[in-house]
Amino acid sequence: MANIAAKRIKREFKEVMKSEEVADGTLKLELVNNSWTELKGQIAGPSETPYEGGKFILEIKVPETYPFNPPKIRFLTRIWHPNVSSVTGAICLDILKDQWAAALTLRTVLLSIQALLSAAEPNDPQDAVVAKQYRENIELFHLTAQHWTNVYAGGPNVILDFVQKVQMLTDMGVDENQARVALSTFDWELERATEQLFS
Amino acid sequence: MSAESDMEYSDNDGDDYDYYGGQDDCDMETVDRSKADPEYFVFSCLKVEEVEKLLNESIELLSNSLHITPSLAKVILHAYEWNAQEIINKYKENSNEVLMYSHVKPRVPSVQVYSSIKVCAICATSPPIHKYSALACGHYFCNECWTTHFEVQIMQGVSNNIQCMAQECEVLAPEDFVLSHVTNPTLRERYQQFMFKDHVKSHPELRFCPGPNCQWIYHAVAREGARRVECLGCELLTCFTCGAPHHAPTDCATIRKWLTKCADDSETANYISAHTKDCPKCQICIEKNGGCNHMQCGACRYDFCWVCLGDWKSHGSEYYECSRYKEDPNLINDNQHAQAREALKKYLHYYERWENHARSLKLEEQTLACLKTRINRKVMAGEGTWIDWQYLWDSARLLKRCRYTLQYTYPFAYYMEVGPRKELFEYQQAQLEAEIENLSWKVERAETTHRGDLENQMDIAEKRRTTLLKDFLEFNTTNASSSKV
Ligand SMILES: [Zn+2]
Ligand SMILES: [Zn+2]
Ligand SMILES: [Zn+2]
Ligand SMILES: [Zn+2]
Ligand SMILES: [Zn+2]
Ligand SMILES: [Zn+2]
Repeated sequence: MANIAAKRIKREFKEVMKSEEVADGTLKLELVNNSWTELKGQIAGPSETPYEGGKFILEIKVPETYPFNPPKIRFLTRIWHPNVSSVTGAICLDILKDQWAAALTLRTVLLSIQALLSAAEPNDPQDAVVAKQYRENIELFHLTAQHWTNVYAGGPNVILDFVQKVQMLTDMGVDENQARVALSTFDWELERATEQLFS
Repeated sequence: MSAESDMEYSDNDGDDYDYYGGQDDCDMETVDRSKADPEYFVFSCLKVEEVEKLLNESIELLSNSLHITPSLAKVILHAYEWNAQEIINKYKENSNEVLMYSHVKPRVPSVQVYSSIKVCAICATSPPIHKYSALACGHYFCNECWTTHFEVQIMQGVSNNIQCMAQECEVLAPEDFVLSHVTNPTLRERYQQFMFKDHVKSHPELRFCPGPNCQWIYHAVAREGARRVECLGCELLTCFTCGAPHHAPTDCATIRKWLTKCADDSETANYISAHTKDCPKCQICIEKNGGCNHMQCGACRYDFCWVCLGDWKSHGSEYYECSRYKEDPNLINDNQHAQAREALKKYLHYYERWENHARSLKLEEQTLACLKTRINRKVMAGEGTWIDWQYLWDSARLLKRCRYTLQYTYPFAYYMEVGPRKELFEYQQAQLEAEIENLSWKVERAETTHRGDLENQMDIAEKRRTTLLKDFLEFNTTNASSSKV
């Protein structure tokens, strides 16, 4: 790994560890290997959002050319959000792409991702299906996001109706995650989700 | 003023056929041509050095009139699509606005004070103060970091659009600043090559010939619609307006839709999951490293949709207008299934004909090559001179030209709304098709066909072709005056 990259990451790692966000538990950061090329981050779901109470793990890969190129970051925890792929966890965020600047740091990036959870950008969607629901049925979107937070990120809100519907499909032999994606995609209409799963 | 309805096919020297065949000298003064040829479009085909000279004239003009360095002139010209006169006028009105719009100057100046710099924010080292530099925004970083930043950007194909390293700063690094930090000769050369390509691409009056490894560049005054240019080097026919293969009578937007559809339907799965695509604006190869469909080209900063390669701006809240998304088979119900089958049938009808003419066109290129050998043999054997056999050559070239137009009538018809106009079009298309097959038959048997007979058939086929183009080429039908040269 290039000299500057390692040096910068070490410095930024320290910066994060000393930050008030780590102290109050909203951010976490740990090393995945000793070469400083990969880290694991964790952000707490912001309060007054459907993600509240959830802990979301991020994969952070540091390129050789860091900080002249952005780190590659995706969600490892599954999340229902217009700017995050519900399948791959890929994030659509300008500072991770064209608006990256070498002067940005891991801490600002993590905080920006956390801010994205509070304020989605449905007009710059990563996941078209989620964004559509966000625009057309915001209440259902909230419930779905809450349900995903509960199941995948340890959030406190159990949406009983959704749990039951997923259960009905898994009883039919459908993989649980697939069932959840299909139901979420078809606004929790059991019939349409079933049709899609078995077509 | 050529777009009137009656057209006289002038059987002049046969030079007319050149656009669809071999060499042509792209002369600009033949007004007669614009009468005989509804597709006539004035252009020139330039070498790299000639284009460099042309660009340098604009750069010099601007740098002399505004008293700025040529490097800055390039940044500004690039931002204003090389309209030097517009820049000069705007600069007189409000020079600051021009500089900010071009990202030469920041909208919000930095508060950092040079003498107080202690550490480089990028690398966290503390070199002596004279080893820092900054763009007009005043964001100071150490020279080593600037060097690495530029090297990384150049390696990624960026040249004109290298931004400052500070957060949220959009100020662009001009050429002299970049080159003062990059010493590696290979990278310096690459930088200048990318820069030249970028300039040509941002210049509305220039377009690279899309032929493989072709170095020629077209120069023309941009107009709407399908505008035919032919390369002096590789003989490719290209639409100057959109850069696709020349496609009259189909318009630019339609041919794009059609070509995307063809590529898509033949290998849908591959196409969508492929990890690299060419930037639709500058054709540089882009790797998709995340799952995000909102792509931005690192080289030209064009924002586009990974799925349909359309302009991202046109998506926005209309993301669902992205054609392939609509065609997602999972979302189609039964009734739509039937519709889809119907649509596929229709598509295949046009596609088969389109493909078939494309194949015939290739075969006719072979015929043309054979013919040349045959004529040469006759001339060598003392059976007349090239002039005597010129008509054979011309007939094969004309056939190629007619076939070409015929091929491009199919996408046009495919997207046409049902109605009397479509009926008229398909009537003319059928007539053209019939005459082309007649001509093709006669060209294949050219040596045994009576010369007068062959020339008569050439006349008829070309007349059908020009009539169809006159009646349906968008700029002939919607805005007759635009074909005035
Ligand atoms: Zn530095
Ligand atoms: Zn700056
Ligand atoms: Zn060419
Ligand atoms: Zn075009
Ligand atoms: Zn591009
Ligand atoms: Zn699209």
